[in-house]
Amino acid sequence: MIKESYRQKSDGELVKSSLDGDKQAFGEIVTRYQGMVARTVKGMLGDSVFSEDIGQDVFIKLFYSLPDFRGEAKLSTYIQKISVNLTLNEIKRRKRFFSTFSQRGNNEMYEFEVADHDTEEKKDAQELVGKALMNLDPKFRVIVAMRMLQGYSTKETAEILDLPLGTVLSRLSRAQEQMKDILEKL
Amino acid sequence: MKISELKLLIIRSLDRNSDPAEASRKLEEAGVCYRFSEGFQAKILERLATSGNTVVREIESVRNLNNIFYRIALTGVAAIVILLISIFMVQGSLSVDSFLGLGTGSDESLLYLLTGN
Repeated sequence: MIKESYRQKSDGELVKSSLDGDKQAFGEIVTRYQGMVARTVKGMLGDSVFSEDIGQDVFIKLFYSLPDFRGEAKLSTYIQKISVNLTLNEIKRRKRFFSTFSQRGNNEMYEFEVADHDTEEKKDAQELVGKALMNLDPKFRVIVAMRMLQGYSTKETAEILDLPLGTVLSRLSRAQEQMKDILEKL
Repeated sequence: MKISELKLLIIRSLDRNSDPAEASRKLEEAGVCYRFSEGFQAKILERLATSGNTVVREIESVRNLNNIFYRIALTGVAAIVILLISIFMVQGSLSVDSFLGLGTGSDESLLYLLTGN
């Protein structure tokens, strides 16, 4: 268990302690940002055990790249960038794999389980959003996940994805069109 | 929240003028939430500890290889020096021919040795 004192520490202090080899401090960073990473990774890849592995990879990569973190951006932005990059890499990897080894193509790329919910209505909601996201083009999916699941503004999304604001806005508008078509069919 | 309302909320949340934070909060209330399983943090710390051990083991094996290499290299150099000294003592001089064992052979005998004619 993480000590109470770590919860009071700022991100900068936790990064410094982690760099000094304090694993508990890094554990607190994981606790603080695992929800955010889960929304990005599971939102884009589907809620499966494979997404858990990618989530773990995000934090492992973060740990080894902490010496490069200069603190110019917020730690959350830095983690979000790692999450998006690893998730997009995984989507590309799956695309390559399924186009080579499967005749069913993309349909089986995103098998996912819906976690238990206290009501059937909530479970249906989760399932609907999951299916809608998985049917979106990945380049739109990332924009939608950032906005719809994380609550990021277009400016924040542009910063995380290293894209011009105009590109994010145009993709958002095209994503909305695609989403309307998808939701009609679901 | 009804499915039709949820669909509307999703589409509206993608309006450039909508408040994304508000939409994300409403979706979470509706049941759209993503979490990692229990013990996620412990698994990461365990993986870090294991990968740390792997790095230590790799460094140790590289160090061992270096030690082996130095021993072999030193033994080899010592053997070459001893061979050169012994050749010098037997032949009374040191040349490439004597080092290769060709000191007393002529071209013809070497050709005969190799071709059999």
